[in-house]
Amino acid sequence: MPSSFGTGAFQVARLRVIMSSDANKQTFEKLVRPHFDRLYRLAFRLTGRRAEAEDLFQDLLIKAFGNLDDLVAIDAPGSWLSRVMYNLFIDQRRRLARSRMHTVEEGFLPAEGLDGFPGDQDPVRDNQRLEQLRSLDLALAKLSDEHRIVVLLHDTEGYKIDEIHELTGTPVGTVKSRLHRARARLREILTDDGTFS
Amino acid sequence: MHTSNTDRQEQELLELLKDYPAPEATAGFYDQALIRATHEGSRRQRNRWLITGFGSAVAAGLVLWLIGGLFLTAPNLPTHDASIPGIAMTLEEPRTVNLVFASAAALDSATLTVTLPEGIELAGFPGRREIAWQTSLVEGKNLLPLELVALTPAGGEVLARLEHNNRNRTFRLRVDVS
Repeated sequence: MPSSFGTGAFQVARLRVIMSSDANKQTFEKLVRPHFDRLYRLAFRLTGRRAEAEDLFQDLLIKAFGNLDDLVAIDAPGSWLSRVMYNLFIDQRRRLARSRMHTVEEGFLPAEGLDGFPGDQDPVRDNQRLEQLRSLDLALAKLSDEHRIVVLLHDTEGYKIDEIHELTGTPVGTVKSRLHRARARLREILTDDGTFS
Repeated sequence: MHTSNTDRQEQELLELLKDYPAPEATAGFYDQALIRATHEGSRRQRNRWLITGFGSAVAAGLVLWLIGGLFLTAPNLPTHDASIPGIAMTLEEPRTVNLVFASAAALDSATLTVTLPEGIELAGFPGRREIAWQTSLVEGKNLLPLELVALTPAGGEVLARLEHNNRNRTFRLRVDVS
């Protein structure tokens, strides 16, 4: 009967769509999951806040899934994902640059990362180290985004200069210059506050 | 002498930076992020729910009503829990809370930021804890409907912050989930 035939055809078509969707999800997960830890850390280094990092991470996945065809064709999806995340971060910062305020009370880097401080067997030494890291945290908050990101990516996360250049699109010479200035400024702040003698 | 001191500080700094930790993702976050991205990512439309004509009278003071049984005149940020208006939600059942900002004058380029506690989501923004956008306000009442969904029973405070010309007002809404 025409009516039942029509229903059956609809069901078949719908089933194909579902199967295709599931295949896409599996492909997507296979491509992105190996990079999750690195991307999460990048998100945290960029934003300095867990909640913002998680939002940025989520935005990245949504955007990446929407560009699955591109992602599949890319040889190094990790680098591509990192660049997309960085661009998302910059876009968000630009959008809010005029209106967003960071008050002294709110701070910028609320030391959430210090919760993960592993410590060792010596509680006195751990405490001293934690205090130093807190000072570093405050010092980093005084840097510009550009300097903070470069020094964290290079000296904390181990990115090479070329990788930061690829990620941010910043010329190599500028990356080096920012790294040099960021370190100098951090030394200055940490000396002034007594962390360094 | 100066150089050796600088070198020593540089070395200390590099060691400190190397130890500077980052938190790990909370348990289940990756899986949830994947599910949200694949199920809803392509359908996400950031601006669909934006309220045109949403306005601000930050300088003149704001009035916020929570339509649906709640009434609040709150030109200033409440400081005690008891003064924070609240709503009760049922787990996984969407509920729309209408915020009405009354403005004495039209105003352009205000920024509204909605901050959500963990476990409370805004429909159309899966996984987002903070949503911000720029908008303008008309003179009179400006309506902002927020469709909230509680994914966990934890509840918490929803913050709506309106900013204009370096001035801001933040309103709190307590959400209890049963």
